[in-house]
Amino acid sequence: MELVRDILDKQVVDRHETKMGKVDGIVAELRGGAPPRIAFIEIGSVALARRLGPRLGRLVSRLSARLGGEAHRDPCRIDWHRVRDIGVDIGLDLDVHDTTVFDWQDWLRDHVVGRIPGA
Amino acid sequence: MNKLLEISLGIVTSVGGFLEVGSLTTAAQAGAAFGFRLVWAIVLGTICIIFLVEMAGRFAAVSRHTISDAIRERFGFNFFLWPLIATLFVNFLVLAAEIGGAAIALEFATGIGFQWWALPVALVAWLLLWKGTFGFIEKGVSTLGLVTLCFVVAAVMLRPDWKAVAAGAVPSLPGHDTARYWFIAVSILGASISPYLFLFYSSGAVEDKWDKSYLGANRAIAGLGMSFGGTIALGVLIVAALVLAPRGIADVDDYHQLPLLLIPVFGFWGFVLFCASLGIACLGAALEIGLQQAYLVAQGFGWNWGEDLKPRDNAGFAAVYTLALLMSAIPIACGLDPLKLTVFSMALTAASLPLTVVPFLFLMNDERYVKEHRNGTIANAAVLFVIALGCVLAIVTIPLEILGG
Repeated sequence: MELVRDILDKQVVDRHETKMGKVDGIVAELRGGAPPRIAFIEIGSVALARRLGPRLGRLVSRLSARLGGEAHRDPCRIDWHRVRDIGVDIGLDLDVHDTTVFDWQDWLRDHVVGRIPGA
Repeated sequence: MNKLLEISLGIVTSVGGFLEVGSLTTAAQAGAAFGFRLVWAIVLGTICIIFLVEMAGRFAAVSRHTISDAIRERFGFNFFLWPLIATLFVNFLVLAAEIGGAAIALEFATGIGFQWWALPVALVAWLLLWKGTFGFIEKGVSTLGLVTLCFVVAAVMLRPDWKAVAAGAVPSLPGHDTARYWFIAVSILGASISPYLFLFYSSGAVEDKWDKSYLGANRAIAGLGMSFGGTIALGVLIVAALVLAPRGIADVDDYHQLPLLLIPVFGFWGFVLFCASLGIACLGAALEIGLQQAYLVAQGFGWNWGEDLKPRDNAGFAAVYTLALLMSAIPIACGLDPLKLTVFSMALTAASLPLTVVPFLFLMNDERYVKEHRNGTIANAAVLFVIALGCVLAIVTIPLEILGG
């Protein structure tokens, strides 16, 4: 398996096949003496902004913390052990609502979209 | 039997969905200014879009990916940003042009200025997306779009010299206004090969859960649907050449000249038919482009997407098409001339094509996505040739047109 080819930027779905985002970042753990190990995948605009450049990363991180609270200063990290299968999508063994990934969509639903008749 | 029905429905929708303000205006301009000389541009554009739509369907059916989703996955986010931004911007202009087209149809019908209609048109389109399902939008609006076939009927009734029409299929240099000739040629290419058409088609194939058993149907829909669509654009060109040119209208630079197209053939009903065609075709295209903006963003960032879900279940997706429609209505509501905007955005579409089509061609040759259903050399070469031609012509002629006009 090649990390960048087979994991990075792939669609991530939760236990109920809800599309929760893309693999925006991969975090590896360096261990003394042993080969590095994948620890987490990251989802969120902060991870994307960091890929474009450190300055943009800091800017988006600050913005995201101001809008969504401290929990959103860093992208949502999901433990690699939660990865259930890697096919067309990457399936995770969790519910998207147990993570912070959809916080902004929930806010949008509760404050804007949900208030428009017929939603 | 079920599949046959689906194929015919697919063809009907692509016929009804082909003509929009871009192909209508550019074909009318070409016919009025250069007679049948630019028939080749419509033929070339149609062949290219047949190839691209067939590829888009094949890609979605085999890989279960939409194109935007796969471009990000294959080339990474940092690359994906470029086609994303370019396509969002071009779509924004084209969507504004479609809203403008529908608004003009309403101006003809009511006498109230087009800028007053921009927001109501956007509101109707938004309501249809908000409450409608994918099948309803795809099939319903495009079936109504069959009214645009009246241009083909008119073209036949005018008894054109078919030999001259056929001769136009071979490119030839004009005796006058060379810069304008190439600019219109490029706008026609841009109008026929709209990125939203094949991007939308791949999203539709995934929404309709296509698999490999749809490959044959896909070929029929792409080939027949798009050729019929091209025939309608050809009809407009022929009508314009036989109606506008003899009346001394060589430059279609004012949209008030357009309803004249069908009046000599159908009389008062020609006026009604023209308004209906323009209005329905533009509303249909506005729905598709509005949805496509949401698809593009949602698929690129991996959000939940789907026109069949309720807005509250994919709030981000619904928010994008709401914003897209609202933003595109603004230039028209401010009184920007829809005709100028249309022609300009079509040429810009042609210039932006390589950004989406080149990565897409890479995907179509990647075994990890399409397995044994990879592109042949002919398909690759044909599409690359037309895209390169369109892009080079656009880069050369857009500055000329701006300086000259």
